Parts: sequence; structure tokens; C-alpha cells
Amino acid sequence: MKSAENIKKVIKNLDLEIDTNTEKDRIILSELLEAQEKSRKTNSAFAAPNIRRQIMKSPLTKIAIAAVVTIACVIGLSLWRTTGSGIALADVLARVEQVKAFRFHWNVKITGEDPNKPYSSEERGTILTSQEYGRKGKIEQLDPNGGESTSTEVYTFPDKKTKIGITPKQKKYWRVEFDDVTAERLWQMNDPRTYLKKILACKYESLGRSTIDGVEVEGFQTTDPYFFLIGGGIQIDAKVWVDVKTRLPVRYDFTWPNFDQMGTKIINRGHIVMHDFQWDVPVDAAEFEPVIPDDYTGTVVKYPAHITEETNIQGLKVLVELLGKYPDPEIIANYTNVAPTVLLSALEKSETPAAMRLKEEIKGLTDDEISNKLVDFLMPIRGLGRFCDMLAQDGKDPAYYGNTVTPKDADKVLLRWKVSDNDYRVIYGDLHAETVTPEKLAELEKALLK
Amino acid sequence: MLEDKVLIWKFKSGSSDALCRIYEKYKKDLLRLAAILSNNACDAEDIVHDVFVSFAQSTETLKLSGNLKSYLLTCVANRARNKNRANQCRQTVGLDEAQPVVSQSKTPEQWMIHSEELRRWSDIMAQLPYEQRETVILHLRAGMKFRQIAKSQGVSVNTVKGRYRYGLTKLRSILNGEMEK
Repeated sequence: MKSAENIKKVIKNLDLEIDTNTEKDRIILSELLEAQEKSRKTNSAFAAPNIRRQIMKSPLTKIAIAAVVTIACVIGLSLWRTTGSGIALADVLARVEQVKAFRFHWNVKITGEDPNKPYSSEERGTILTSQEYGRKGKIEQLDPNGGESTSTEVYTFPDKKTKIGITPKQKKYWRVEFDDVTAERLWQMNDPRTYLKKILACKYESLGRSTIDGVEVEGFQTTDPYFFLIGGGIQIDAKVWVDVKTRLPVRYDFTWPNFDQMGTKIINRGHIVMHDFQWDVPVDAAEFEPVIPDDYTGTVVKYPAHITEETNIQGLKVLVELLGKYPDPEIIANYTNVAPTVLLSALEKSETPAAMRLKEEIKGLTDDEISNKLVDFLMPIRGLGRFCDMLAQDGKDPAYYGNTVTPKDADKVLLRWKVSDNDYRVIYGDLHAETVTPEKLAELEKALLK
Repeated sequence: MLEDKVLIWKFKSGSSDALCRIYEKYKKDLLRLAAILSNNACDAEDIVHDVFVSFAQSTETLKLSGNLKSYLLTCVANRARNKNRANQCRQTVGLDEAQPVVSQSKTPEQWMIHSEELRRWSDIMAQLPYEQRETVILHLRAGMKFRQIAKSQGVSVNTVKGRYRYGLTKLRSILNGEMEK
């Protein structure tokens, strides 16, 4: 006789083998891709992916997105294309890349669409970039209600892989220490060279000659939806105006709509202007040294300097000692936004010796002090998230099973990724690692489902 | 799972590779569920096909914050339920005429190739009233909580729990009967 419990177990563990006809798979997939393409074409005039909406919330990130440029896109394209009026945009890029230091003003404005609910926000600033010393920006966030604005000085040092922000009004500062890949991407942010490369990689056209502040310029425009690499489909209008004499940019204008949650209605429009360029300006190293007064308090965000399999294993060990378990995949997936409060919440439930020690240590500390105390524990989360992100971007099929695998599971896959067509690298629950075939991985993951 | 988060993100950004990967990753799970729920190979294939087509068309409208697999399984369950209702209304096909879930030979048109075990279990589950079958399978095989099933079926949690209990009792009786044979 089978008991109800037995029946439950039997049904749960049934190995119901199933396969599919490869030819039919091919036909169905082809139909699906066609349906996806048609849907994108139909909706593109109205809809926009949520990820873009999320990213577009921060004006700084807007710049960042546009800056995430795959230079490789440019390679192989016919760069030295003149527009008939004499200026080749590739020539402009070549000149800009020779410049050692430059300064420009920029302005980001978001304007609401609903006339009954007027809304706008604005940031403006000056950015000084030196190939030798780094980048310094002074960003002013304007109060839409006419109140006092907030000013932040932001320093970016690619060689130190660090970004520092200082907000005098609040007497606060923050420092982010990035991994090498992110640092390189950061350096591309807010950089007119990046935008030139991006326009070159898109379909663009000449707008002909015009005059800006008494300077004769030629304009170039792209409305290619892939101008913003992430969130293709955005209705961007990007223009750059180039001095016909110096062949250097004079002004950039980008506009785009932001949609509501359903992706059907425009709620506001963004407008970025980069202007008043000063090319080859003299710079002094002292200009790039952040001055943080003694009475300012600050927080530090750290990523491992180099993110590798080994750094991830070490980081996971630290987290297990603290939390008694592996962090949830949700936390890893949202690593860019992971806050000390997330860790504190997990810490509350942990009674490991490390957790008890830490809880004791943070008693009575201020929020900033607690944040700094947790830096070393948040770092492996960011490192692991970043690692998985990079693997996914490279098509290496990563998967992380921190919600089901425990440190005692020596034979269960905690993290895996593809290293070649014939091999996967696997880190097991007990944190030993090995390379396995796809077939072996399939067996291991099948066991996970049980 | 992190991979799914990345896949959804890429899919919503218009990536065809992500759609292919989602298809490859979940087609068997969806077919397995559809096969057991419908106990009819053609219906199962139609259901999963329709789910994937709708999903492919949702690139720019999909709002999914939870688990991708659960979402797709729920879509299959919903369509299977609708199909079952439609079949009940038509009542044009008698039980003996119903196509078995497994055909022994593979035809060029056939998408799903299933095992003897799947056929056996589809037949066993088909002896349960549809609602009980769906509840038992969604809870035990798809790992869905009673609350999620209740929401999907548009009934109370207690009703779902009742269906589950009755379903298990009936299954117990069927399986013990099989053993006695």
C-alpha cells in the first residue's frame, strides 16, 4: 500500500523523460523569432523595455549607458565616410583622441509630458578630463521648486579604479573602488569621444552647415534606436555639431522619451546638452586632488580589484561564515543596488560566531559607520554579481543556485559557467571547483531539481 | 535564478538569443506539464506552442518580476485549463477516440517524443477530475504554492487544498489498485 506521503514523493521524483523533434524545434524557433521581430516592429513606436526605464531614472546613468560603447562595433565599418560637405566624422574622432585635456559644460533636463502635473528636474555641471590625471566634475542638482540646489564634486581616477564624490552641503563624501573592467567603462562615461564612436557605429546623416555662437559648424544626426547600447529600441535623437575649421565638436544634443510602466505612454522627455567645449586646456595635477575636510563623514563601496573564480570562492567563504548560508540569487542579481540594509536584514537572522561578533561591533554606531563596517562583506556580493554579469555578457551561460545549495552540499552545483563548447566550470556547495562536460553538468543540475 | 534574470533582461531588450535560450531551457518542462494536464499529445503541443508564441510577442510588454519558469508553467496551466473547458463544451471526441499522449513512432509532424513512463503517468493522472489533476501537478511537480495555484485558478486557497487532498486520495486509490493487479 502506498501512503499519501509516498505518493507525494513518487510524483515529485518522477523521471518523466521527454525529448523533442529537432526539425520541429527549428521550425517553431523560426516562428518564434519572427513573432518577436514583428512584435518589436509593431510596438517600437510606443513601447520601451523596463530595463531602460530603470536605467533612465538617473541622469548620470543616462550618460553611462550611452557611454557603454562597444568599440568593436566600429571596427569593420567604413569609418572614413564624408557627408558630401567635407567633414568626415572619423576624422573628428581622430582629432579628439589626440587631445590631452578638455573641458565642457553639460546639462541634463527631464521634462514631464502631462500639462496638469508639471514636472521637471535638472542637473548641470562642468567636466574636466585629463588623460594624465583623471576626470573632475562639478554637478549641480537644481531644485524643481526653486529651492536650494545641491552641488557634488565627482572625481574619477581610471588608474586607481576609483570614483570619489563630495557633497559640501551635507558634509558627506563617498568613494567607490571598482574592478578593472568597470573602471574602464566608467572612464568612457561623460566622454565626448565615446559619443562620437557611438554615432559612427550607428546610421547617421549630415545636417549641413549652421552657426553656433558665431562658429561655423556642421551637424550630424542619428536616430538609430541602438545609439543607447542597452535597451535597443529607444527613440533617441542624437546630434553633434562640429567646428568646420578645427574639426572638433562644439555641441552635442541628445533627446529621448521615457515611458510609463506599461511602456505605452510617454511620461517625460530627457534632454542632454554638452556644450562650451575647450579642447587642449592646460591642467594642473592639484586640480584633480579631492579635498575632503576632516568634519565630513563618508561611505566606501568596494568591488574586488580583479574578479576571478578564486576571488569569488574567497568571497563566498566570507559570506557563509557571516550568514551561515549563501546569499540569495536575487541579491546577487541586483548587486549594483545592494545596500548595507540588505546585508543587515540577512545578518539579523544569522547566529554564526562571525555574525554575533559583527552585531556586537555595530551596536551604537551611526548609519555611515555601519555602512563602512559592512564594506568588506558587501564586496564579495558585488564581485559575484559583477562576475555573473560579465559571464552573461560574454554568452558564457552562468547560473547561480545560492537559494537551494548549502555549504555542506559537496556534490551540488552552486555556480557554473561555460568555459568552452565542451566544458563547464562548476563551483560546488563546499566551494571546491572542477571542470565538467555539459552532460555531467546536466546530471548535476538534474539532481538539484530533485 | 540569476541566469533567468539576465535572460529576461536580454529578452526584453529584444535579444533573439535570449528567446532561443528560454525556449531550449524550458520547452521540455512545459511540454511535460501540458502532456500530463491534457493527456493529449496534439493539445499539449498546441498549448506549449501558443504559450511560446505569446511570450515571443511580449518582448516589450512583459512585466515579470518573479520566477520565469513559474510564469511559463502558469501560462501552460491556464491554456490547458481553457483547452480542457473548450473540449468539454464540444464533447465531440469520445474517450476511445482521444489521441493517446504517446505514439510509439515518431512522425515528421510530431514535436514531442515521450517516454513510456510519461504516457503511463498521463493516463493515471487523466483519471483524476481536471481541477484535482492540475492542482496536484502544479503543487508537486511545478513547485507552486497553494496560494499561487488559487490565484491562477481563481478560487480560494481552501478550495485548492481540498482539490489537492481529494486528488491525492484518488491517486492513492488508483495506484494501490494498480499494485493489487
